[in-house]
This record gives sequence, structure tokens and C-alpha cells, in this order.
Amino acid sequence: MLPNRSRLSVLVFLLPPLLLYGVAVLFPIMQSLFLSFFSWNGISDMEFVGLANYVRMLTADDIFWRSFFNALGYLAICLVLQLGGALLVASLLTSMRRGRELIKTLYLLPAVISTVAIAFLFVRIYSIEPVGLLNQLLHWIGLGALERPWLSDINTVLAAVSAPEGWRFTGLYMLIIYAALLSVPKELEEAARLDGASRWQLFTKIRFPHIMPVWITTTIMATTYGLRGFDIPYLMTNGGPGQSSELLTTYMYKTAFTSTDFGYASTIAVFIVVECLVAVGLILFMLKRKADA
Amino acid sequence: MNRSLRAAAVAAITALALTACGGGGGASDPSNVSPTGEIKPREISWLLSRPADGAVINIMKKLADDYAKDHPGFSLNLITTPDRPSYIQKLETLAAANKLPELFDTDATPFAQQLAKQGKMVDAEKLLKSLDVYDDYRPSALDYQRFDDGSLHMIPFQFELEFIWYNKELLQKAGVSVPKSLDDIPAMCTALRGAGITPIAIDGQDQWPLERYVAYQPFREAGPEYIQKLKKGEAKFTDPAGQKAVEWLASLGKAKCFQDGFSSQGYSDAQNQFTSGQAAMYNIGTWELPSLATDKLNPDVRDDIDFFTLPTTEGSVTAANEFVSPSGIGMAVNSKTYDPLVSDFLKFALEKYPSEYAATGALSPTTNVETVVPANATPLYKKALEMANDLGDKQAMPWDTQLDPTTNGRLQQELVLLVQGNITPEQFTSTMDSTIAQNAPKFFK
Repeated sequence: MLPNRSRLSVLVFLLPPLLLYGVAVLFPIMQSLFLSFFSWNGISDMEFVGLANYVRMLTADDIFWRSFFNALGYLAICLVLQLGGALLVASLLTSMRRGRELIKTLYLLPAVISTVAIAFLFVRIYSIEPVGLLNQLLHWIGLGALERPWLSDINTVLAAVSAPEGWRFTGLYMLIIYAALLSVPKELEEAARLDGASRWQLFTKIRFPHIMPVWITTTIMATTYGLRGFDIPYLMTNGGPGQSSELLTTYMYKTAFTSTDFGYASTIAVFIVVECLVAVGLILFMLKRKADA
Repeated sequence: MNRSLRAAAVAAITALALTACGGGGGASDPSNVSPTGEIKPREISWLLSRPADGAVINIMKKLADDYAKDHPGFSLNLITTPDRPSYIQKLETLAAANKLPELFDTDATPFAQQLAKQGKMVDAEKLLKSLDVYDDYRPSALDYQRFDDGSLHMIPFQFELEFIWYNKELLQKAGVSVPKSLDDIPAMCTALRGAGITPIAIDGQDQWPLERYVAYQPFREAGPEYIQKLKKGEAKFTDPAGQKAVEWLASLGKAKCFQDGFSSQGYSDAQNQFTSGQAAMYNIGTWELPSLATDKLNPDVRDDIDFFTLPTTEGSVTAANEFVSPSGIGMAVNSKTYDPLVSDFLKFALEKYPSEYAATGALSPTTNVETVVPANATPLYKKALEMANDLGDKQAMPWDTQLDPTTNGRLQQELVLLVQGNITPEQFTSTMDSTIAQNAPKFFK
């Protein structure tokens, strides 16, 4: 318990960032909520429509549901690549004796490259006319039958736009998980090894439970980032072909700034906020139950 | 926490109140084109969507500098966003905030028409007449800028003709000739594909190039009125003209007319495919003359390149000399900030602009000047310019300037699916007709 004076000074120091947070985060959310009950195209008079936007979104908008499921697919691919990939690489790193720093830097590199550069890079990689890297590789290893315009094929485009985002942040989560893995007490591992635990048992019974708190944090981070994914799909395909790579975020953006339907776009924005909160709640609930069990 | 929440709530309410106040804001009389009073030089801004080092910007910069010599304190701030979708978003956001600058670019879109109806744009017909330059303009250059009710609120700075450029050698190799009818094109594509040639190079990423193709058949079948009715929901894709367009596009897709993976290929990708001799045809306007009809063009294909205009069809209601001839994005004059200075500068600039523009080798929107053919031009350059002298009265309007933005976005998406064969013509028709029915009424009240 802090003495009264320091409690006051803590409050004084915390207040400005809290205010900033209120103005920059809470206020726009409240304003979106407010706007979602109106029909407004930016230049006309605002017209109160009650829950009509919500009814339209949930019952009458095929693109909304399409983008919702696309966003879930995008999230799944990002999570597998980011968390799965990060855990794998971090585990391998701990068993490496040399060159750790080099590998770490190499994996982290994509996280610092500009999104626009990554988007253009991957458009080239997926291209078929002129032949891009991916199709060329498939051709060389004898899988020529799989060559396709990855970004124009409605069956592959979602995975194709998710992969760069996943790849990009694998290094970042790897770094976090690696740091957590380093903190696993050596004597615990050694004791387990003496008792005859296999590498797999070592991982599932000792290491993973130990990094659980970090794992929860990274899962929440990756999930919320994944649900808010926007830039790479927007830059690479603009949601196309058709609505095959349309995410809720790109759809919301287009509704607001192309269709100038600010009221309805706010409705979608409110849905995204709720969706993120629900996702975080679900993760905490599931992991907690697992921890209790 | 409680305190910050309360603070946030106060901030929210204040800001809402402020935006509500800012929402109003009067516009002055848009038909008063000759404001009286003293000319007080200041900085004026032009929000535009044109290439940063293009002729229009360079000339207007120069003219503004000349004007500033006699009017110290005047300057023209050119804010360009060449990428059209980004530009439109910027424009619409500024319009929503009631912060449009003195001059701004827009096509004759339904959104612009709403601005005009609210009196936010100066009546350009009256303005041009008061400056005594109205009769210099090509009628079709002005018509392109008009809204459906015939009113004119934008001033053109360009005049372009859109052709289908082709590679003679590649056509010969495939044993096909220039199509006599739009309906010949699918068979042409099949033959070209058979000879291992990409029939048409298209910039799929920007979406408007493919949207041109949906306009062609209805323009030939039913004339320019079809899109005017369609966008309001008075005509449908189920009508004969619409069905012809849908079926034709599906057959273009089936014949693999466009390069593989076209939907993710950009402007320069498409042009490179054509100028490197890989693709046989390329649909683009005279703004590309400097790269298609001068010695900048790849020498390997330079002698093989020619163009044809939009083919007609059997029973076509529009003539061969009527096709897409846009006068580019137009410039609107903000009525709220229109004052003696803006009026005087426009008078100065619009009088001098045509000759300067024609000197760059481009087609002026006016007829009082002759375009200078550049020294490094191929014979095709002159041939292309001469087409402007013999144009019919009607012109095919690009649909992206006609439809409401939501329908336009959906159409662009569905077109790709239709051409790629991911949806059937029936699915396309019903999706588009219901999209128009849902969105058009809001925009064309």
C-alpha cells in the first residue's frame, strides 16, 4: 500500500495518459455508437433511423456476413502462423548454441518493414503473368499443376492475403515467447530429464505451463491485431476478387469512405469493437478453465 | 478512473456540439458568377486528382506565377492525389466537413450532383459565358461534365479519345483481323489464345478499365440513355441491352480475353504487356499518346502498333464515330469562397490555358487552338489527334462516373467474378439489379 502522498502523485501522473486515452479511443467509440443510429452520407442532414442499421447489418447484408467469415478465416491463418510459428521457432532457438542473435534478427526483420512494401512484395511473389516467385518455385519442384494467379483465384486469395500478415509478425511473437522460455528454471527441466521425461513431455508439462501467462497475453495481442487486420488485404486486393478477401475492416472502410454511408459504417465499427471484446473474453474464459482443470 | 471517464464524457459532448455547429455553413448564390468588389490577392487552393508532373499542373503553376506577378500575395496551392479512389475519399470527407477549398476536381458523379443541388458549386455554364470562353469549348467536352439534367458545374481541362490499340503482327500471327463488331471479339480472343498470345492486357487492380467494357454493348444497343435510366433503377440488367452486356462479358471471360490473374495487375503491368509485344490489344485513351505513339515506345513493336475505335454492332443505335471521349475529371468552383479574386484568376487562366496545353501535344477541351505534334511522334500520333475532328453527337459515358458509389463498388467486384467465371450471368444480373434497387433511391431522390 502506498502512502497517501505517493498515491496522489501516481494519480497525477496517470491522469494525462488516461485523458488522452479517453479522447483518442473512448470518444471515437462513443461517437461511432452515436452515429450508428443515424443515416448520414456526410453532406445530407442526419436522419435518426433507430436500430435500422443494425437490422440491415444482421439480417439483410450478404457482404457483411461474407466479410465476417472471411475475417475469421484471416484470423485463424494469422494465429496459426504467428503463434504456432513463433512457438516453434522460439523452442528451436533455445536448443541452438550458436547464431541465435542472427536468427532472431532475421525473423524480426519483416516486422520493421513498411506494410506497403510488404504488400507490393507479395503481389509480385503471387503473380503469374509475369511469373512470380511462388509459381516459379512450384514449377521447379515439379508441382506445376498448382501454379495459379493466387490473388485472382477466389479459393486461394484469402489465404494469400493472410499469409503476409502472419509472416510479418511471427518474429515479434517469437521474441516474446523466446524471452519467456528463457525464464523457465533450468533445475526444473534437469530434474524432469533425470526422471526420464521425453522432450515432448518436457515441453507440455514444464515449459508450456510455465510460459502460460505470456502465452495468454500474446494470444490476446495476436487475436485483436488479427481482427483489426486491414492494410495488407486492402493494398493487395482491395477485398477482391468479388468479396473473396473482404474483411469487416475493409468493408467498413469502403462503406464509410467510398459509399459515404457513415451511419452504416459506424454500425459495422461498433460490431468490430464488440467482436474484439467477445474474442478477448472467450480467450480468457477458455484459458482460465483450462488452467483450473 | 471515474474522473477520466467523466472527462471523456464531457469531451465527447463538447466535440459533438462543435461538429453539429460546423455542419451548417451557408453557401453563397451559385449563379452569381461576376462578384463585385475589390480583388484582394491571397492564397487559393485547388484540390485535384491529376498526375503530379502532368501538363495540367505544370501549366496552371506557370499561369499562377504569371498572375502573381501582377497580383503580389496571390498564390495557387495545388494539392494533388493522383490515385482516384483515394482522391474521392478525400474529397467526400472534406465535403462532409464542409472544408472544400476554392477549386476542387470531381467527375459528374451523383455525389457531385448533390453538392451542386446544395448550391456548393458555381454554375460553370454561366461562369464560362461571363468570361466569354463558353463557345470555344468542344460541345462534347462540356457534355461530358454535365449532370443528367443538363446543368454544368465543372470545367474541363483535357479532351481525350479512347481507342483499342492493337499489335498488327500478333493479330496476323493468329490469323484474325480488326473486329467489325463487338460481337467478333470473343472469337478473336479464342484465336489469339490458340496462337499463345494474350488477347487483351487490362489493368484489373484499378477496376475502372474493366468497367469500361460493361458500358460498350449497352451504348451500341440502346445509346447513352440506358445507363442514365439504369442508375436510377428505371432500367434493369434484365433488359435486352443489359443482358447483352452481361452475356458479352461472360463470353469475353470464357474466351480468356484478359491476361491470367488480371484482377491483381496494375496500370503499368498492363501497359508493359502490350508495349513488350506480349498482348495483342490494349484499351486506353489519348493521354497515353506520349508512350504509345512516340519514339519512347519499344522499337520492337513501334511499327506494329495501330488502333481502332469502339466497334459497332448489328443494329447499333450509335455510330462508329461515337465512343468514349472523356474530357477528364472536371474542376468545380466552390461557391462559398468564390470572390472577385477567384473570378479574376479564372478569367486570366482559362484564356491562356488552351494554347499552353495544346503546345504540349495534348488535345485541348477547346477548338480555338491546334495541338502541336511532338517532334518525336510516330505517324500514329497525328492520326489519333485527327479522330477528334470527326466525332458524333453522342458519347459513351464511363459508368464509374454515373452510378451511385455503393452500386459502383459492387459492380466492379461482380464484374471480376463474372469475367473469371466464378458467377453465372444470372447471378450477376440478379445481384446487380437488387443492389441498384437498394442504393439508387438514396442518391437520386
